[in-house]
Amino acid sequence: MRIPVLTNLLEESDALAATNRQTFEAAGVFVVNLMSSPGAGKTTLLAKTIDLLQSRGLRCAVLEGDITSTLDSERLAPLGVPVVQANTEPFGGDCHVGSHFVRAAIEQLPIHELDYLFIENIGNLVCPAEFYLGEHRKVVVLSLPEGEDKPVKYPLMFRECQACLLNKLDLLPYLDVSVPLLRERISTVNGDMIVFPVSAKTGIGLGTWIEWLEHGRQELQARHVGARHDVS
Amino acid sequence: MHELYLARCIISGVHKALADETKGQDVTDVRLRVGKLDAVVTETLTFLFNAIKSDGGLPNAGLTIEEEDVRCVCDDCAQKFTVAQPVFLCPACRSAHVTIVQGRGLTIVDITTTLEEPDHADPCIN
Ligand SMILES: Nc1nc2c(ncn2[C@@H]2O[C@H](COP(=O)(O)OP(=O)(O)OP(=O)(O)O)[C@@H](O)[C@H]2O)c(=O)[nH]1
Ligand SMILES: [Mg+2]
Ligand SMILES: [Zn+2]
Repeated sequence: MRIPVLTNLLEESDALAATNRQTFEAAGVFVVNLMSSPGAGKTTLLAKTIDLLQSRGLRCAVLEGDITSTLDSERLAPLGVPVVQANTEPFGGDCHVGSHFVRAAIEQLPIHELDYLFIENIGNLVCPAEFYLGEHRKVVVLSLPEGEDKPVKYPLMFRECQACLLNKLDLLPYLDVSVPLLRERISTVNGDMIVFPVSAKTGIGLGTWIEWLEHGRQELQARHVGARHDVS
Repeated sequence: MHELYLARCIISGVHKALADETKGQDVTDVRLRVGKLDAVVTETLTFLFNAIKSDGGLPNAGLTIEEEDVRCVCDDCAQKFTVAQPVFLCPACRSAHVTIVQGRGLTIVDITTTLEEPDHADPCIN
């Protein structure tokens, strides 16, 4: 006998992500899932981004997905923001941050006192793209030395993300990579992707990235205030 | 790389879908539909499913994986098309604003068991 099922294989993970999202909406915290291949510059960018947001009086926290070490967390320590280390499963789930880690992080964070939560996903352009965590935005960091072919080689990642940080722009004079070609490749995979050429090292281009984040957060806050008025 | 996680999800998904009277050992096949965009390594998934299925209470289950082509609809001209290469451009109007309608996501389609079909069975299910 054949029993029809037709259920989403990731049903449980997605349901938990939806719960996470509800928590973030209720707390008014804007959540960004940052993904890239290893070494593209996620931690460096986070440090710069948080510094810029802090100078505007905004409160940030980080969920650090590093698999094997606490090195990235240690690098973020000087910023004085809460950092939760997701020690990923010893086997099986160690290619991506799962929605249950995010749930666990919520319990450990002063979620109602935050404006931003950044999730530094595990360095990998394949697996993290598959999993919804409850975030408001998915962002991929692609560093120029990685070459122009990456969007086409990892289409799911580039389809899933709303923005792409083209990092290490300071290295352009030393590379054979073409930014216009890279932009063209990204747009053939995702015509709606917003691209920010930046250097986490020199800080170039980070202003527009911060404005984009702030725009998203303000939209969330408007919803938040709207919801509060509805209740009262 | 997360195929072991997926294999575990198949096992828990099957147990959840089985009616109480059906035992895991009666399951002979699980049919999984996998979007091509999800980039699942099907050989790895099959290998890992077979490696853990006995411990997972499905000792006799095979795994049939069907890969689903990626299909899009153009946001500008409503043209439907299949995406063979990772180029998400409308073939009719060259628009880059397209929506994926098929080929993304993982679905347990159905489960085959050794149990007899009840008489009042839905004729659509064979
Ligand atoms: N020249 C240059 N180097 C950079 C830039 N951003 C990051 N780096 C360097 O690139 C290396 C990797 O940066 P990380 O920030 O650790 O990268 P990551 O993506 O967090 O790496 P994982 O967490 O291991 O995946 C470090 O040596 C950084 O100093 C940049 O804009 N320009
Ligand atoms: Mg890092
Ligand atoms: Zn079109």
